[in-house]
Order: sequence, then C-alpha cells, then structure tokens
Amino acid sequence: MTNSKMTCEAFDAALPDYLEGTLDDSMRASVETHLRECVRCAGVVRDIENIRHDAADLPDLIPARDLWAGIESRIAAPVIPLAARPERQRRFAPAWMGVAAAALIVSTAGITYMLTSRSLGSRQDQAVAQVSPTASQVDAAPAQQAPDNSLASAPSQTAGGNSASPALAVRTPTQRGGTQVSLASRDIQTGPSHSDVVYAREIEMLQGIVKQRKTQLDSSTVAIIEKNLQIIDTAIEQSKAALAKDPASRLLTEQLTHALDKKVELLRTAALMPAST
Amino acid sequence: MPAASNAVRVAMGDSTDVALAAGGDRQAFERLYRAHATRVYSLCTRMSGSRAQGEELTQDVFVRTWEKLPQFRGESAFSTWLHRLAVNVVLNARKTEGKQASRTEENDVDDERWDVRARAPMHIERMDLADAIAKLPAGARRVFVLHDVEGYKHEEIAEMCGITSGGSKAQLHRARLLLREALER
Repeated sequence: MTNSKMTCEAFDAALPDYLEGTLDDSMRASVETHLRECVRCAGVVRDIENIRHDAADLPDLIPARDLWAGIESRIAAPVIPLAARPERQRRFAPAWMGVAAAALIVSTAGITYMLTSRSLGSRQDQAVAQVSPTASQVDAAPAQQAPDNSLASAPSQTAGGNSASPALAVRTPTQRGGTQVSLASRDIQTGPSHSDVVYAREIEMLQGIVKQRKTQLDSSTVAIIEKNLQIIDTAIEQSKAALAKDPASRLLTEQLTHALDKKVELLRTAALMPAST
Repeated sequence: MPAASNAVRVAMGDSTDVALAAGGDRQAFERLYRAHATRVYSLCTRMSGSRAQGEELTQDVFVRTWEKLPQFRGESAFSTWLHRLAVNVVLNARKTEGKQASRTEENDVDDERWDVRARAPMHIERMDLADAIAKLPAGARRVFVLHDVEGYKHEEIAEMCGITSGGSKAQLHRARLLLREALER
C-alpha cells in the first residue's frame, strides 16, 4: 500500500497504534498522508484528541452528601446489639457482610474480655480453694459432661445454660480482644461455668457469622476450614473425655484450653476472610 | 474543613496526618478524608458509572485505607498510594457483583479481536462527556477512566484489571470511538 492509496479501512485499523505512537515510521507516514487527504479520517483523529484532552481536564466530582459519618461509624467498629444481629444482616448487601462480621467479632471479644477480667479475682480464689473431685464423682455425673461436649458441635445448648458443666478457672486474656480463657482446674459445680458460657457464646457467634458468609467464600477454602474444625472438635472431645477421668490434670486442662482457643481462632479467621473473587 | 485550607495542607503534604492516622487518630484520618474525598469519589463514580455506587465505594475505600494505613511505608506519595488502593477496591467490588456478570465483563475486556470499526449500539442523544463516560460498557469505561482521565499506562491498567496490555489498548480505542459517537462530534 502506498501513501496516497491508503484506504479509510486501513486507516481505521492503524488508528489505535497511531494514537499510541507505536506505528513504525513508514506506516506513520502513510497515515499522516492519508489524514491530509481525507476529511473523514482527519475528523476522527481530531475528535479523539479532543476527547482525550477533555477527559484529562474533567473536574473532580463532589459527593451529594458528606460520606464521613458512614466511614467513621465503620472504622469505629461499633458494638452491634446481638439480639438485632440477624435482622441487620439480612439488610446488608454482600459487600457489608465482612464489616458486620468484624464488628460482631470485636463486640464479642470485648464482652469476653470484660467478663473474664471481672471474674478474675473470685475465680482464682475458687480455683485454689476448691478440691478436685474424684474419678467416681465425675463418673457419677455423666449428664453434667454432655453440654461441655456440645460446646464444640452445638454450642448453643451450652450457651443456653440448660445443664451443668465442669467449672473452669479464668485468667486474664493475654491478647487484645482475644478469648484467652484458661482452665486452671476443673471442679464439679451445679451450673454452667462462666468460662463455658464465654467460650460457647463466642463460638456460637462466630459459627453464625461463618455460616452466613459461607456462600461468599471459596468452596475449597470452606472445605478446609470445616475439616480443620472437625479435627479440633475431636481434640476437644478427647480432652474432655480424658479430663473426666483425671479432672486434676493440668496437662489435660491446658490441652482443652488450647483446643478451644484454636477453634475460636480458626472461626474468627474464617469470619474475617475476604470474599472469594 | 474549607477547601482553601485543604489545598494548603495537601500542598504541605499529608505525612503528619498519615502518621497520626496510622496510629489510630481518627481526627487526623478525617483530615485525610477531607483532603482526598473528592478525588477518590470522582474515581469511584466514573469507574462504576453511578454516583450512588461511587458514594458506597468511596466509603469502602476509606475504610480500607484506615485498615491498611499501618502498612503504608511512604515509598510513594500518600495520594498515589490511596489512589491505587481506590482502584483496587473498585475493581474488587466489581468482581463480587456476580459470576455471570463478571464472566461477561472479563470476556468483554479480554477480547483483543475486537474490530475497531465496530460500533456498539449507544442510542443516546447528545450529552456531555461525563454522562457519555457513565454510559460506556463497563470494561471500556474502566480502561478509559484509568487511562485518559487518571493517566495510568496500559501496562499498569493491564496489571490492575487482570487483562493484557493489548486488551487495554483495544478497550481504550473502543471507548473513544463510542464516546465520539455519543458526543456527535
């Protein structure tokens, strides 16, 4: 094709590279010759140059309302009333679910911290004063162990406080906002222990969040999380069974604490995980 | 905060407020918001093609900025870092809009065989440039805004959007031709 015989179709094909400045010298010369001869194609180039110029000079847009209030409320991580949670979450668009989850986790972690901190003194005293039960005492109360097991699989039963479980001494959380509850000793008592309730509440809340976020997460990620939760639940059950036979065992107590903490940690991570893309 | 004082403060740099905000100072973060809100809002609105979405995305951007601020190392200007983060928030929001829509758009963006002479139907009356940009197909609109409005290079756009550089060029040219047609120049 010669300079003087470039067609408009050929010009159209060369136009993107011409505008990008990536044509070789001979092709660029052909295009420029064609532009001098063709009013239609010269108009196209002129219009596009005007659009480029105008686009670069577009003024900033101003929001119709002040958006800061909405941002501030979100970064302040307000405590969301637990009773209102299901209703609020139904109103949220998927993009807000992660924020709601974070806010709920912060609120439950805060509650956990306050509860465990408040009861620290009295619990430590009890842990020293109480006498560990004998194996026969534990065996004689199998029904009291059941809700403790349900902590892992169905925490809502324990959270409801329908039955008793071994007492758990509580220590101060070691992490900011964490659910660090230590089972320093285990004793028979008539109602659900404070720590049982704290763990059950935390786990129940987190499981609720994770359940609602399931559809937003990658299916293989969900499968791995569920598999790991099963492993942790098995560890919790085994620790509880062993503790039923040896309630004074510090090692077993720590194992159970560790497993429960792992479960909370995994659920919290899953709840805060970004939606799959 | 008055616009004039915003301009002065931006000219002086955001470093103090960035440092304070990274440490949890919400008042400092609000000053950063006031200084950069219109720029971020403009980007979000033009890339999404909707003022309502632009508002929502702007809030998302600043919440994300608050979360990520402790990781800002000052290797680039805060405004540059914020702008890039805003682009990522907008593009990630797009990805969550639904698999079907996403697939359609990806195909749209990645189609390097697009015929530059083709004209998508834009049955619209003469309008100003801002309105015409909002009515562009999503893939073409994003590339046009990033390139011709925001000044990103094709290589950067390709990386951010997950497309090829050639795809970015094709979408840009398509957008310009559609805009020309819409503006009846």
